[in-house]
Amino acid sequence: MTTAPKQLLDPGFELTLRPMRYPDFYDRYRDAIKNTWTVEEVDLHSDVADLAKLSEGERHLLGRLVAFFATGDSIVANNLVLTLYKHINSPEARLYLSRQLFEEAVHVQFYLTLLDTYLPDPDDRAAAFDAVENIPSIREKARFCFRWMDSVETIDALRTREDRRRFLLNLICFAACIEGLFFYGAFAYVYWFRSRGLLHGLATGTNWVFRDESMHMDFAFSVVDTVRAEEPDLFDEEMGRQVTAMLEQAVEAELQFARDLCGDGLPGMNTDSMRQYLECVADQRLARLGLPARYGSGNPFGFMELQNVQELTNFFERRVSAYQVAVEGSVSFDDDF
Amino acid sequence: MTNPASADPELDEPGTALLRVLTDSSADLPEVDPGRVAAAALRGRHPGSDFAELRSLAVEAAAALIAEDPQYSRLAARLLAREIADEAVGEGAVCFAASIAVGHREGLIGDGTAAFVARHADLLDALVETPAGELSGDDRFEYFGLRTVQSRYLLRHPVTRRVIETPQHFLLRVACGLAVGDSAESVAEVAELYRLMSRLEYLPSSPTLFNSGTRHPQMSSCYLLDSPLDELDSIYQRYAQIARLSKHAGGIGLSYSRIRSRGSLIRGTNGRSNGIVPFLRTLDSSVAAVNQGGRRKGAACVYLETWHADIEEFLELRDSTGEEARRTHNLNLAHWIPDEFMRRVEADTDWSLFSPADVPELVDLWGADFDAAYTKAERSGKAVRSIPARTLYARMMRTLAQTGNGWMTFKDAANRAANQTALPGRTIHSSNLCTEILEVTDDSETAVCNLGSVNLAAHLRSTGPLDSSDPAGPADAIDPADAIDWERLDATVRTAVTFLDRVVDINYYPTPEAAASNARWRPVGLGVMGLQDVLFRLRLDFDSPGARRLSTLIAERIMLAAYETSCDLAARLGRHTAYGETRAALGQLHPDHFPATAHHWADRWNDLRARVATTGLRNSLLLAIAPTATIASIAGVYECIEPQVSNLFKRETLSGEFLQVNPYLVADLKARGRWNAATRDALREAGGSAQEIPGLPADLRSLYRTAWEIPQRALIDLAAARMPYLDQSQSLNLFMASPTIGKLSSMYAYAWKQGLKTTYYLRSRPATRIAQAAAAAAPATAAVPTPEEQALACSLENPESCEACQ
Repeated sequence: MTTAPKQLLDPGFELTLRPMRYPDFYDRYRDAIKNTWTVEEVDLHSDVADLAKLSEGERHLLGRLVAFFATGDSIVANNLVLTLYKHINSPEARLYLSRQLFEEAVHVQFYLTLLDTYLPDPDDRAAAFDAVENIPSIREKARFCFRWMDSVETIDALRTREDRRRFLLNLICFAACIEGLFFYGAFAYVYWFRSRGLLHGLATGTNWVFRDESMHMDFAFSVVDTVRAEEPDLFDEEMGRQVTAMLEQAVEAELQFARDLCGDGLPGMNTDSMRQYLECVADQRLARLGLPARYGSGNPFGFMELQNVQELTNFFERRVSAYQVAVEGSVSFDDDF
Repeated sequence: MTNPASADPELDEPGTALLRVLTDSSADLPEVDPGRVAAAALRGRHPGSDFAELRSLAVEAAAALIAEDPQYSRLAARLLAREIADEAVGEGAVCFAASIAVGHREGLIGDGTAAFVARHADLLDALVETPAGELSGDDRFEYFGLRTVQSRYLLRHPVTRRVIETPQHFLLRVACGLAVGDSAESVAEVAELYRLMSRLEYLPSSPTLFNSGTRHPQMSSCYLLDSPLDELDSIYQRYAQIARLSKHAGGIGLSYSRIRSRGSLIRGTNGRSNGIVPFLRTLDSSVAAVNQGGRRKGAACVYLETWHADIEEFLELRDSTGEEARRTHNLNLAHWIPDEFMRRVEADTDWSLFSPADVPELVDLWGADFDAAYTKAERSGKAVRSIPARTLYARMMRTLAQTGNGWMTFKDAANRAANQTALPGRTIHSSNLCTEILEVTDDSETAVCNLGSVNLAAHLRSTGPLDSSDPAGPADAIDPADAIDWERLDATVRTAVTFLDRVVDINYYPTPEAAASNARWRPVGLGVMGLQDVLFRLRLDFDSPGARRLSTLIAERIMLAAYETSCDLAARLGRHTAYGETRAALGQLHPDHFPATAHHWADRWNDLRARVATTGLRNSLLLAIAPTATIASIAGVYECIEPQVSNLFKRETLSGEFLQVNPYLVADLKARGRWNAATRDALREAGGSAQEIPGLPADLRSLYRTAWEIPQRALIDLAAARMPYLDQSQSLNLFMASPTIGKLSSMYAYAWKQGLKTTYYLRSRPATRIAQAAAAAAPATAAVPTPEEQALACSLENPESCEACQ
C-alpha cells in the first residue's frame, strides 16, 4: 500500500482514477479519440501527378521535407515512451500519453506511406531514412532533439528539484521546439505547396497531423501549467532564460534547414520569410509559457492565415474527415433540431 | 497614398512595372492599397523573377487580403485575367476565332463547331469585344470564380499545357458547341446563350462547360443505372458501363438492390453467396481507377433498399475502422427507403430483412403494391431475419453522423409524384450522385440528365447593393415578390431550357443504354443558385415566412416558364417519344400531386394545362436543384438553395485555396464603421459566426446566422414548400454541429412526414475544439494558427457537393 502522490511529478506508478485528480487530462484523452483517422483515408492519387510538375528546386525541398517527416515523429514517440510516460505520474495523463503514442504511430505510418508513394526507388527510400545521419541540415535538427533526450536519460525518478527542472526542460523542448516549431516549420512548406494547388494528399494528411500535434503541444503545456501550480519555485527566471535560449537554438536549427530547402529562394518561399515565420511562432510559444517575446516578428505567410478559416471541399477531390466518431443517444421524434 | 515599394532601393524594372499595373488596376477600388500588394509580392520573389512571376505573386498577395476587404478579390481577378489573356495570346488565341482554330488544329475542338465558328468569325469575334463604357465579361468575375475557370475549365494545349482560350472565349465556345443550323437565327441564339453566361445569369453544368464544342461532347451530369441483375455476367457488365460513363465525367447513381444477400444459395455452384460487399468493393476500385479525363476521379453513389439483408454491412462501408476488405472509401451510399419502414419505426415494431433472390418482385414495386408484397413475403416466412425497426433506424442515424453518408431518400414519395411512373412496372430505382435526379431505369435504359442553374441573384430588379440607410428599409418597403424581375427570369428559363433540350441531341452517349433512354424521355434538370444572396439582399431571414413565400414563388415561376418552353419546343420539334407513357399525357402535372397547393399564377397554370393537352411536352422532366458547388463559385454566389455555411470560410479546390468572406455582412459592418481588425478577429475566433460581433444589431445578427445556427426545420419546410414545383428533386444538405441519435431521428422523421423525396449529406462539425490558450497570450500581429483555429480549418472538409452535377 503506497500513499497517493501529492504532486504530478512525484515518482511512482499511481493507479487510482477515482476520485480523479486531473480530470482535464482525462477529457483530453476522450477528445483525442473523437479525432481518429487512418492513413487509408488519405488520398495521394493527385500527388503523384503533381510530382512531375515540380521544378528542380521544389523537388529538392520536397525530398528533404519528406526525409525529415520520416524520422521526426519517431523521435517524438521515443521521447514519449522513454521520458514522459515514465515521469508524469497520473493514470489519466498516462491514458492521454498512450493515445498520443498511437497518434504518433499513425503519423509515422502516414509519412512512411507518403515516402513509399513519392519515392518509387528503394535506394531513395533507404536514403531518406538515413537522412538523420547523411543530410547535415536534418542531422542538426536530430542532434538538437537528442541533446534534450540525453539530458534526462540517466534520471530514473524525479527526486530532486534539479531532476524536475531537467524534466521540465525536456518536456518544453518537445512541446515548444520540436512539435511546436520544427513541425510547424514543416507544415508551412506543405501549405505553401497547397496554396499553389499542389500536393493535396500531403496537405490532407498534414491537416490531420497538424490537428493532432496541436493537441499534443497543448497537453504538454497544460502539464507544465499543472507542475508550475504545484511547485511554483521550479520554473524560475533562470529557467525562463534557458527556455528562451533553447527556442533560439531551435530557430537556428530550423533556419539552417530552411537554407538547405529554399536555396536561393522559390516563388513565395525563401529563407527570409521562413525566418520571420519561425520567429513569430517562437514568440507564440514563449507567450504561452508566460515569457516575453524574443523577436517581435509577424507572420509573413498569407497561406498560413488561411489555416484559420473553415473550408469547403468538393467531394470529388478530397475525402470527408471532419465527422464525429462518437455519437450518442437513442431514437426519438420530438428532439429539437 | 504612399507606398512602401516605391521607397525600396531594390525596386527594379519588373518591380516598377508591377506597381504601375497594380495602381492602374485598382483605380476604382478605394479600399485597395496597391503598395501593400506590391510589397507582399516582392517579398516572395527570388533571383530571376520576371514581371509575369511578380504578377502571379501579386495575385496571391491580393487574394490573401480578401478577408480584409472584398475589393481585393476584384484586384486579384483583374490581374489573373491579364495573366490568362497573355498566356492565351502566347498560344495564338488572339481572338475567339483564332482560339477555336488553335483548338481544332490541336485535335480538341470538334469539326462542326470549328466550321460554324469559321463561317461566322466576324460576328462571333464581335460578341466578346467589350463596347467602351461597359463592364467587360471578365470583370464580372470574383477571384474565386476566375481561378476556378482558369484551373479547370479553359482548354489547354495538349503539349505545352498552356491555356488556348480566355474565359470569354471559353463561354462562347460552350455556346457555339450547342449551335444548330447555320442561319442568322443560329448565331442569334448562340449570342443570347453567351450573353446569359457572360453575365453569369445562367450557367450550364460542368460537363457541358468542360465538353461543349469538343470532339467528345459528353455534356450530361448524371447517369442513373438500375441494379445489375442477380447474376455474375450482369454485375460485370455494369462495371464496364460505369467505367465508360465515368471516363467522360458523368456522376453515377446505381442501385444494388437486386443482388442476393450474404448466405443466399447459388444454385450453379451449390455454394453460398458472399453478398453485395465484395462486389461493391470491386466497384469502389473501378470507380477510383477511372480518371475523368485527367480532371478527377470518378464518383458514384450506391442505393440500397432498406429491406436488403446486407443493410448492416452496407452501413459500415465507409467506416474508417475495421477490415479494409469490407470498406469502400470512394463510394457514396444512400438508402432507398419505403414508407413502410418509416411507419414501423414510428410504431416501434419489427422490420424484416430479405434476400432479393427470395423476393425479386419488391425492387420494382412501390406504394400500396410494395406494402402488400412486403407483408405477404413476411407472412410466408421468406425473411432472412428481422430486427426492431428502430434499431436499424438508429444505426442509419449513427452512420450519417459519423460519415455524412448513407443519405436518406424515400422510394414511395419519389415514385408517387413522378411523371415517368404512369404505367405499371415503371419504377424509379434510385436517385443520382447528388440526390436531385429521379428517373426510371431498367436493365436496358440508363437514365441521363443534363443540368443547368439560374443565378437568382442576377434576377433581382435592383442589382446595386441595397442601401441600408434607406429610411423605408428595403425589407419593409418592398414586397419580396416584387423584388424579382419575373419577366427576365422567364426569358432566362426559356433560353436555358431550349439549350438543355438541345444537349439531348448533341450529347455524346458513352453507352447505348444511356442513348436509348434519353432519346425516349428527354429529361433535363433546370435548377437555381444564389437563393441565399437574394435573401441577404432583401434582408429576409432564411427561416422567415417571407423567405418561404419568395422561394416557393421562384420555384413556381421557373416551373411555369420551363413547361411553357417545353410546350413550345414540342410544337416546333415534336413531343418526346415516350410522352404517351407519362402522367402529363393523362392530364396530370406535377403540382397536381400536392392538392393543398395554391398557385400564385393560377391563370397561367390553366393556360399551360390547355397547351400541354394540345402540344404535349418535349421533355418528360424539367426541374432539379443540383448542388452547384463549382458553377456557383464561378458565378460568385452561394450554392443552390443552401444557407451560408459560415460568414468566413476557406474554399479549397484543385486550384489552391481561397478565402471567402460574406460580402453582405462586410457592407453592413462598413456602413456602421465596424469593419476593422478587431471585428475580423472576432469573426475568425467565432468560427465564422456573426452572433458575437459587437455593434451588430439584432436583426442583422439574425439575418447573418449560418446554416449551423438556423433551425433545420426551416430548411426542410422551405424544401417541402417548393416541392410541388420541382418535378424531380433537390440536393438538400442538413446541418447539425453536434448530432445525437435523438436529434437526427427526429429531423429525418420530420423530413419524411413533410413528404420530401430525397435528402443529401448530413453535415456535422469536428469533435475537438481545443482551448485557445496560445492565441490569447500571443501578440495581436501574430496570426499563426492556434490549435482551435486549426481545428476549424478542417471542420468543413465536407463534400460540399458534386461537380458532376454542376
